[in-house]
Amino acid sequence: MRIDPLKLRILENHAQAVAESMAYTLFRTAHSTFVKETEDFTTGLATPSGMTFASPRDLGATWFIGLDYSGAINMIDDYEEGDICVTNDPYSGFVCTHTPDLHIWKPIFWEGEIVAFAVGHIHNTDMGGAVPASLSRANTEVHQEGVRFRPTKLVSRGVLNRQLIDTMMLNVRMPEQNWGDLKAQIAAVNTGERKVHEMIAKFGVETVRAGIEDLLDIGEARARDVISRLADGRYHFVDYLDEDGPGGVPVRLELTLTIAGDEAVMDFTGSDPQLNSSLNMPTGGNPRHILLMVGYNYCLYTLDPTIPLNGGILRAARCVVPEGSVLNPAAPAAVGMRSLTTGRLQGVIMGAFQAAAPDRLPAGPAGGGGIVNVKSFDNRTGRLTMASIDPVTGGAGGSAKGDGTDGSGANSSFLKNTPVEINETEAPVKFLRYGLVPDSGGPGTFRGGLATELEVRVFSPDTVVTARNRDRSIFAAWGVQGGMAGQTSHFTRFPAGGGREDLGNTDVVHLGPGDVINLTSGGGAGWGSPLARDPHAVARDVARHKVSPEAAERDYGVVLTDGAVDIPATEALRAARAGEAPHSGLNASRIAFEAVWTDANYAALSAVLARVPVHWRPFVKRSVFDAVAAMPAEARRGDGSDVEAALAGAIAKLPQLAPYFAEAAE
Amino acid sequence: MGYRVGVDIGGTFADFCAFDEASGRIETVKVLSTPATPGQEVIDGLGALHERFGIAPSDITYFTHGTTVGINSIIMRKGIRLCLFATENFTDVLELARLKMPDPYDLLSSRPEPLVTRDRVIGIAERMLADGTVDVPLSRESLAEGVARARALGAEGIVISFLHSYRNPAHEAEAAELIAELAPELHVFCSHRIRPIIREYERSSTAVIHGYVQPRVSDYIGALKGALGGIGVGPEPMITKSNGGVMSAELGRTACVEMLLSGTAAGVMGAAFVARAAGEANVLSLDIGGTSADVAVIEGGAPGFGAAEMVGDFPIFVPTVSVTSIGEGGGSIARIDAAGLLAVGPESAGSTPGPAAYGRGGTEPTITDAFVALGLVDLGALGYGMVSIDRGAAEAAIAPLAAALGRSLAETAEGIIGIAVSGMFREVSKLASRRGIDLAEFTLLAFGGGGPMMACFLARELGMKRVLVPRTPGVLSALGGLTADIRNDFTATAYYELGPETLPALRESVAALSARARHWMEQEQGHAGAALLTASAEMRYKGQSFEIEVELAAEALAAGDIATLRGAFDAEHLRLYGHADETAPIQVIAVNMVVSAASPRPVLPRAEPAPHEAAPAGHLPVHLDGAACEVPLYRREALTPGARFAGPCVVAQDDTTTVVPAGFAGTVDAHGNMLLTQGGADAH
Repeated sequence: MRIDPLKLRILENHAQAVAESMAYTLFRTAHSTFVKETEDFTTGLATPSGMTFASPRDLGATWFIGLDYSGAINMIDDYEEGDICVTNDPYSGFVCTHTPDLHIWKPIFWEGEIVAFAVGHIHNTDMGGAVPASLSRANTEVHQEGVRFRPTKLVSRGVLNRQLIDTMMLNVRMPEQNWGDLKAQIAAVNTGERKVHEMIAKFGVETVRAGIEDLLDIGEARARDVISRLADGRYHFVDYLDEDGPGGVPVRLELTLTIAGDEAVMDFTGSDPQLNSSLNMPTGGNPRHILLMVGYNYCLYTLDPTIPLNGGILRAARCVVPEGSVLNPAAPAAVGMRSLTTGRLQGVIMGAFQAAAPDRLPAGPAGGGGIVNVKSFDNRTGRLTMASIDPVTGGAGGSAKGDGTDGSGANSSFLKNTPVEINETEAPVKFLRYGLVPDSGGPGTFRGGLATELEVRVFSPDTVVTARNRDRSIFAAWGVQGGMAGQTSHFTRFPAGGGREDLGNTDVVHLGPGDVINLTSGGGAGWGSPLARDPHAVARDVARHKVSPEAAERDYGVVLTDGAVDIPATEALRAARAGEAPHSGLNASRIAFEAVWTDANYAALSAVLARVPVHWRPFVKRSVFDAVAAMPAEARRGDGSDVEAALAGAIAKLPQLAPYFAEAAE
Repeated sequence: MGYRVGVDIGGTFADFCAFDEASGRIETVKVLSTPATPGQEVIDGLGALHERFGIAPSDITYFTHGTTVGINSIIMRKGIRLCLFATENFTDVLELARLKMPDPYDLLSSRPEPLVTRDRVIGIAERMLADGTVDVPLSRESLAEGVARARALGAEGIVISFLHSYRNPAHEAEAAELIAELAPELHVFCSHRIRPIIREYERSSTAVIHGYVQPRVSDYIGALKGALGGIGVGPEPMITKSNGGVMSAELGRTACVEMLLSGTAAGVMGAAFVARAAGEANVLSLDIGGTSADVAVIEGGAPGFGAAEMVGDFPIFVPTVSVTSIGEGGGSIARIDAAGLLAVGPESAGSTPGPAAYGRGGTEPTITDAFVALGLVDLGALGYGMVSIDRGAAEAAIAPLAAALGRSLAETAEGIIGIAVSGMFREVSKLASRRGIDLAEFTLLAFGGGGPMMACFLARELGMKRVLVPRTPGVLSALGGLTADIRNDFTATAYYELGPETLPALRESVAALSARARHWMEQEQGHAGAALLTASAEMRYKGQSFEIEVELAAEALAAGDIATLRGAFDAEHLRLYGHADETAPIQVIAVNMVVSAASPRPVLPRAEPAPHEAAPAGHLPVHLDGAACEVPLYRREALTPGARFAGPCVVAQDDTTTVVPAGFAGTVDAHGNMLLTQGGADAH
């Protein structure tokens, strides 16, 4: 340790006070409701090389602990006192991760030298581009996602760059909001600068410099300590996004986690090639890119909630991310909806760490319900109304420590809903139902948290409902230790004229007067065999209408009479079922998909895709998928030869492909 | 002439403050709290007042009391067994809350189990729409089934909270009547009667908490009134409220959700009272007890109010004096954390067993022990002789930490204080940024048993130049009750754009609330004197999701002067957030009314300061700011108006110790308050 250990905690409190004062200043002065409602912003302090060492704990987004600003910082040649820089380009330095996020950094000087940077970001409601709010799964190029700025001086020695502001204002849909929020960001970094100067005055510049490094070292040491208590080994985990674009095929996210001593390596080789939709995650291959590390941060913090949340904890791990993959796309791949992929990737990382710490981490979290917005007309006034309704979240996975929380939790814990009463007052909609869904949580010794459902009627023609991040209608949350999968999500339209239409993973739906939609999230998955669940806990779930009496008997082997556990009947039933094979934790769709798309077939596909240039990959992937789907079931062997046969068929039809595989044939 | 007596009950002590109407003198007493037999400490304390100061119960002309029975019932989950009747298909209002988890970084973070679990939430067939029209009439069959189920579940009470009842309460009222017929033995609570606010979770949570504790609180107040009458206390007792006011005890029996946070509120009211008397407009109050450390911002002599406070694990939405917790108080335990560094809290030795130095069974090193080990607490009696200080025990508790760190005992103890103060610094810094205030313009007013001990250290960290320590810092909450107005709040949801066409509705709301407020003050409270009515509106720019409360100027409202009404909102938005949009439409979400009437307020005795150098009562060997030294010890009662002294020194009094490091100069003002000024001479 470089400074007096008795001083370090005091210095840490002061650094945290700076980051948190910045956050409250930003939150207080931001203009847009989006910032106030979603808290999708960050503030913090970074070292002179760009690693964040202080982030607020109780305000702002949870994804950016340990964000490394160096990529952006290094794209500016020289810094002078009074400079403030910004960027929102996902491909310049790989700090920003989609265009609505405007990142800002200000060098903090002391006697001519940079001691730290005050940093942060705000998610702007709109940055221009093809669609309002700049985000759509259907976007195929980053150019459709709005105006972009490379790392640039917004303020140079205290003088505002008017040209930059004018360009931004000209290209966005709600310029006053962007400008108002940008002023709040400027106020925040200025607050950070002032308060770091106060810190230096109190502690002395050398103590501050050295103390910052000590804080990061302690973060690293604590993370290594947490990892060293996990069993060494290789932990493999796979999960999927249902679709790689509207109506598409699944996206595979694959991780091999190696725990060796006090280090973790996360190798994402085997994950899908980059996509022709905006689900790509721009990481630039940075082995500690923040989007790759969110799930790691969550896992370490859950394993030990006393670890400091600073960039030091990232040093105990590194990632391998193949170029041209969904986790490391080449420009100009669209990246706007990377949040869906990032959320699922958090689950994949949780799955691998869960395998390493089965008694300390939970089964798979729900997801897929979507974040719902309604655009409709108010029939009384004729006015067009746009309203954000609710995130439709599902429960956490069960764990050895207890049931998953119902309705939300795990990596969706930061989301807030909007009261029904506010929604019905603000938007011309009528809620028919909002609440938990019985039997939706994966059965287990510790049950998965229940899904939520939201059912709404609309009243005007030309109503549009969007449900961003819709997913999990095919592949459900995964159970562990013999626990069962959660239920899948659903999106259903009940037209005014009767009938029902399953909308699957659709994220935009057009509705007419009287139509009803129902959005149901997935449920969290279970931990441990449901046959080992305390029968009284099952009875309590039945009394609370979280589990039906039928499911109690079918899934848990618990027989109830008048709500009470029939102990002899339960014991008999459980004894009779004791020989059953443990649950795989996967739902039927996943098992069916993987019967065709085996690890061997995927390995073959990865090998094939590695041979073609990036711009061919989505096309080849889709061709192979189509061909494999067209094979008669009895012809599939699942050993990789299915892919080779499909590829041969594709090459036969498309001779342009042949040169890429010429050597392979030899 | 007689005595006005204020009582505040805390975790360890019950504080009594008796104001002599003839002389203006204030006598104070502390007795131990008796949580097992609530109310006993009140009788004990009145006995002590009689014994020590000859104040007989029959001499008492005015009596205020803050009770913790309600909040303790919630924390210990000992309220009544409730069912919640909610609109069918919307019965998960308590389970889902607002979704967000307490710690979003923790994958295992969970919400506390609701006070009414899902099996006891019963959906009732009825539906009111957002505009207050009936969509589905209340089904009597559904309600009767619900009552039968509630009975079968052993419910003692039913809370009714239907969608949009803030707009049209007819279904809730009808259901309450039907339940009274069907099951007269059940307590019934309607959400719109408790706080008719829009947002179903917030309204339901408030109503559930109210129903959960109301019978307990009512029983307590009934018993207390009987006991007070039995020993000869004549006047109707007044109960302190979370809004910083008081109400009659009889009203308190049915309005208990309004008193749950009265303890901290009364302390802030006491601080505001002292600050006004001392001529301090902008004050940050610092209240440190054994289990909590709280601050409040007092601007222009008045505290701020909020409407979303936590009671135990749950939020309630009633107007409450804004108080921010900045730590766990003097009982916070120091330890070596996983990184091998010294850390303080969040675990606390609380009031039981308390700091090691108190000799009540505590062995863990606390913040208080650090002060004791450094010699900064006079070893004489504390807490009016009820606690004796054992320096050896404090040192023994800290010694293992010192050994583990390889540092001296004094360095370790100073480390504990430095870390504790920096943690408080962090929380206060956040508060200042959230409020947009410059603390350099504020005076730190310290009270509670631990406030004066730590105030100068915190002021130094925050760059605050002035620290004020009132004459009786240990009983400021009890004094606060005595200084409080009779006060109540009323609200009506509005939810429309401010403009000429909605002006009649706004006026109508104000008129209806005024009538209700007057009725409450005159008929229910039985106050015949003058009352002040203050109307305000919770407003926001259209599209925002949070409101700002702005006073509605009566003349502007009467004259239809929309420009003035919205101008007030724009100005407040500018003040709070640094920007305003004079062209954006404004929504009025709710109309509020505060009715208040002054209670007979104590006038603190004043003595013209006679400037003189204070004479120390002795010297203490201490360790302070990294060095061992001898510092003067002053007795607070000897510090008369005009006394001057300088740090480093220690000021001891019955209920607390004030530690004054070097760099602070002290003076005593006309009311006996100590003003400690950083950076030399007194700024006055």
